[in-house]
Amino acid sequence: MSFPSDTIAALATPVGTSAIAVVRASGPQVAALVTGIFGETPLPRAASRADYKDVRGLLVDDVLFTFFAGPNSFTGEDTVEISCHGNPFIAQKILEDLFARGCRPAEAGEFSKRAFLNGRMDLSQAEAVMDLIHAHSERALTAANQQLRGALGRQMDALISQLINILARIEAYIDFPEEDLPAEDRVSVLRELERLKTDTGRLLATSHYGTMLRDGIKTVILGEPNAGKSSLLNRLVGRDRALVSAEPGTTRDYLEERILVGPHALRLIDTAGLNSSPSALEKHGIDKTIEQAAEADLFLWVIDATHPLPSLPSSVAARLSSANTIAVFNKIDLPTAHPDSAPRNFPAVKISALTGVGFDSFHVEIARLADSFQAECGDELIAINSRHAYALERANQCLDSAVEKLDADIATELVASDLRGTLDAFGQISGRIDHEKVLDQLFASFCIGK
Amino acid sequence: MIFNRTPFDVIVCGAGHAGVEACLAASRTGASTLLLTGNIDTIAQMSCNPAIGGQAKGQIVREIDALGGEMAINTDVTGIQFRLLNESKGPAVQSPRAQCDKKAYQFRLKHTLELQPNLQVFQATVTGLIFKAGKVVGCQTNLDIDFLGQTVVITTGTFLRGLMHVGQNKNEGGRLGDFSAKTLSGSLLEAGIELQRLKTGTPPRILGRSINFTDLQEQKGDPEPTLFAFHDTRGPEELFHVERTGERRIGWKPGSEQVSCWMTYTTPESERIVRENLHRSAMYSGEISGVGPRYCPSIEDKFVRFADKPRHLLYLEPEGRNTNEYYINGLSTSLPFDVQLDLVHSIPGLEKAILLRPAYAVEYDFAPPTQMFPSLESRKVENLFLAGQINGTSGYEEAAAQGLVAGVNAARKTRGENPMIIRRHEAYIGVLIDDLVTKGTTEPYRMFTSRAEHRLLFNHGSAEIRLFQHGKDCNLLSINRLNKIEAKIKAVHHWQNTLENTKAHGVTWADTVRRSSSSPDLPAEFLAQPKEVREETLYRVRYRGYLEREQRQIEKLKSVENIRIPDSIDYAKIPGLRRESALKLHQHRPLNLGQAGRISGVNPVDISILMVLIAAGKDPKF
Repeated sequence: MSFPSDTIAALATPVGTSAIAVVRASGPQVAALVTGIFGETPLPRAASRADYKDVRGLLVDDVLFTFFAGPNSFTGEDTVEISCHGNPFIAQKILEDLFARGCRPAEAGEFSKRAFLNGRMDLSQAEAVMDLIHAHSERALTAANQQLRGALGRQMDALISQLINILARIEAYIDFPEEDLPAEDRVSVLRELERLKTDTGRLLATSHYGTMLRDGIKTVILGEPNAGKSSLLNRLVGRDRALVSAEPGTTRDYLEERILVGPHALRLIDTAGLNSSPSALEKHGIDKTIEQAAEADLFLWVIDATHPLPSLPSSVAARLSSANTIAVFNKIDLPTAHPDSAPRNFPAVKISALTGVGFDSFHVEIARLADSFQAECGDELIAINSRHAYALERANQCLDSAVEKLDADIATELVASDLRGTLDAFGQISGRIDHEKVLDQLFASFCIGK
Repeated sequence: MIFNRTPFDVIVCGAGHAGVEACLAASRTGASTLLLTGNIDTIAQMSCNPAIGGQAKGQIVREIDALGGEMAINTDVTGIQFRLLNESKGPAVQSPRAQCDKKAYQFRLKHTLELQPNLQVFQATVTGLIFKAGKVVGCQTNLDIDFLGQTVVITTGTFLRGLMHVGQNKNEGGRLGDFSAKTLSGSLLEAGIELQRLKTGTPPRILGRSINFTDLQEQKGDPEPTLFAFHDTRGPEELFHVERTGERRIGWKPGSEQVSCWMTYTTPESERIVRENLHRSAMYSGEISGVGPRYCPSIEDKFVRFADKPRHLLYLEPEGRNTNEYYINGLSTSLPFDVQLDLVHSIPGLEKAILLRPAYAVEYDFAPPTQMFPSLESRKVENLFLAGQINGTSGYEEAAAQGLVAGVNAARKTRGENPMIIRRHEAYIGVLIDDLVTKGTTEPYRMFTSRAEHRLLFNHGSAEIRLFQHGKDCNLLSINRLNKIEAKIKAVHHWQNTLENTKAHGVTWADTVRRSSSSPDLPAEFLAQPKEVREETLYRVRYRGYLEREQRQIEKLKSVENIRIPDSIDYAKIPGLRRESALKLHQHRPLNLGQAGRISGVNPVDISILMVLIAAGKDPKF
């Protein structure tokens, strides 16, 4: 029995759970990769410290790498483990660089599968491996399905139908040279290809990092008017971003800022105060807040420590839990503060947005919760997104090549060959696309048949 | 009565394009073979257009030739017009096509069968199959004569419960003037084989002397005909290897005295006639339940579905040298005869045309092909093989290819040998059979080059090289021919290397070839090589990058293609397999992981799980 022999790469550690992230690659190309990246012939089983420079020669990180020569490795193949700093952006950059150097993203459970197939696990472990593949894939599938149901799915559908249209137009002239078809119009095909390339590029740019990484953890700052939400935001961001005043209800719509807390990117959203008797204008702001709260990952509930414990609108309160909310007692520097009436259900911190007191433990608390989110879905999410990026990158290369050929007036069966490559690449995101779809489109748009 | 005590090795039922290749392939590999046909005078009849080849089909015919089949040579020596399609595109998608003399084509094949050692031909209509312990052991006929065989190949074409429609007029039969095989369907159903209905159609035939050719556009054959058979390796003794008895057979020098086809178009008047009578068309009045092919729509369909197209192209094709009958390519219809007359007369050149035969649609039974192994043996009944339209295909070439494979494999089965399985990456025949048994079909299946992932490798000239190993392993070619093919392969490799590695003026010959669009000055020794060697070498050199990319993809696929799935596997019991996938896999019962991966709804994770399971030898059933 022979097994696939390409080189695969993936993140081996969950994002953010530790100070380091480990990227692993396995396959016949590994020794050459290590030499290529670090400029030295790898010594088996010795950790070396080196600069990781990407394919263009730009420094990514200072890393520790260990090479394992097959068959004495986890997978039984040549393997390298690269430990970088635990910032997901860095791990992502390294992964993307490995893909650019010819690796492909590992499928769910593929390292374990290879280990088993190469005799590195005994038979009794086969079932465990299958379970592992299954578990990985279920999570990946769930995450992927969520994405595909959303904007990504719609965009992919649009790209695929554009492509199938173009392919059908090309294939018609290859498979039906005897038919009375309108004159072959390379110019308009070229124009449509250029449009497809632009659209693919746009999607590639947005899907560059995982949803969480791309947008950050959506963190909503909420609380009563004048609890100090905007001051908190400013303190976290480190500069005056929100318009701060002693006048309650200054923030009528909402403001958004991005910050890094440890390895985590946070998308901070400052909202209008939740006033129990709002004016018409305030009411609009409150509606916005409720809207934002509905989609948030993390809540920072700012409570004025000098006031009695407020209540929240039920639609917002229903979303808060100990796993996603920090009760932030603000203004503890004021003499009238009495921060002991903390709500029992949530982890609490005591700070002063004005003086900065308590922010160290506040950061620790944010990081703790953020870690727990990413432990849930982080590694799969990043894996899926790097797979998407990899697939779109390949799709784009094929499109470039197709455009080049059309420009140079090279035979269309070669253009079609590139476009089939694009179709297969799209299929890796949206699920395999049967080439029959091209024929469906062809028969729908051309009157074929002698 | 029982005809024979000692069973034939192979009985072939049906003498269409599938049946003749099946019985020739079986008998040529040494199997005692019987061909049963309802009418010996219609052996290898072209029921529809009098042409062989065309896009993808032309390549298939050359592949048939590479496997020792008869279609190519028969076309070459009875062809009356030859054209190479897609000459403006690259070699991979160029296809030979030929108009044939319909009667000469039939007569020559009939004669070939008569002269073939190990083969007996007999006229009787098969009415049923004889089963014993879940296996087929012979067939019954309308003459109450039973025939025993170790294996049976069924090639019923459109005859299985064939029903013809001309408007509201209905006649039983598989072809105008012929009968219908009515009871055989029952026998297949009894054996647990599922049957469904398909539909196809054919245009009217007209008298040539009633055509006014004056204003019609002529389409001539190529001055240099592209032939189907590999005459370079067949040699004269191959060409006439059944003629050593000294008998003369019909046929002529390939490409001599070519005839022309003619082009005309429908008119607005044609459209009006069709539209006003749509309700009388068998297809539009709901008379027909079978599904027709999208690539071969009736004229009704063309006007309705493509209303913005002002006119439709028609070709007038002569049916032979010794007949004045013409075929109107593009005018397939199931409208009533009176409407057909008006319709034909509304077409320029055909104002006074005399109809010889009406157009008609025909419905027939087919057995959804997912019920077969890739050997074309039924999964339900051992020793029963199926080929041609009964498997849901359309086209003489597709039928012949299956016939050849079924005939070879039926014969091999009787000798306990492994079946010949042609893979998707090897030939169109491989794509055809893999598509049929893996995905099935809902319309009459026709091959298109776009169905093949690796069509760049399927240039027609390389068929013999691609299929060499099969021909050799299955004993389909003479030693002499095998040696010649081997020498050709060596010569191509040699010249590939030489051109890649020899520099002239600081550039390799190969680079020169790739950079120039015309043919550059190459070494005289190369130019002295046979045309076949030169063309294949230049193709490989010029397209090297693309061909290598295809090869790399194939290597990847092969690794899973070679992993067999044990028969006893029970998908329902596999931990981790998604229910939907388990169900699909259970329905299709793929034979290897490659096939499993091509089933829609099965994803790479499922394949991973199966791979681990198979490697562990842990079939959950044991």
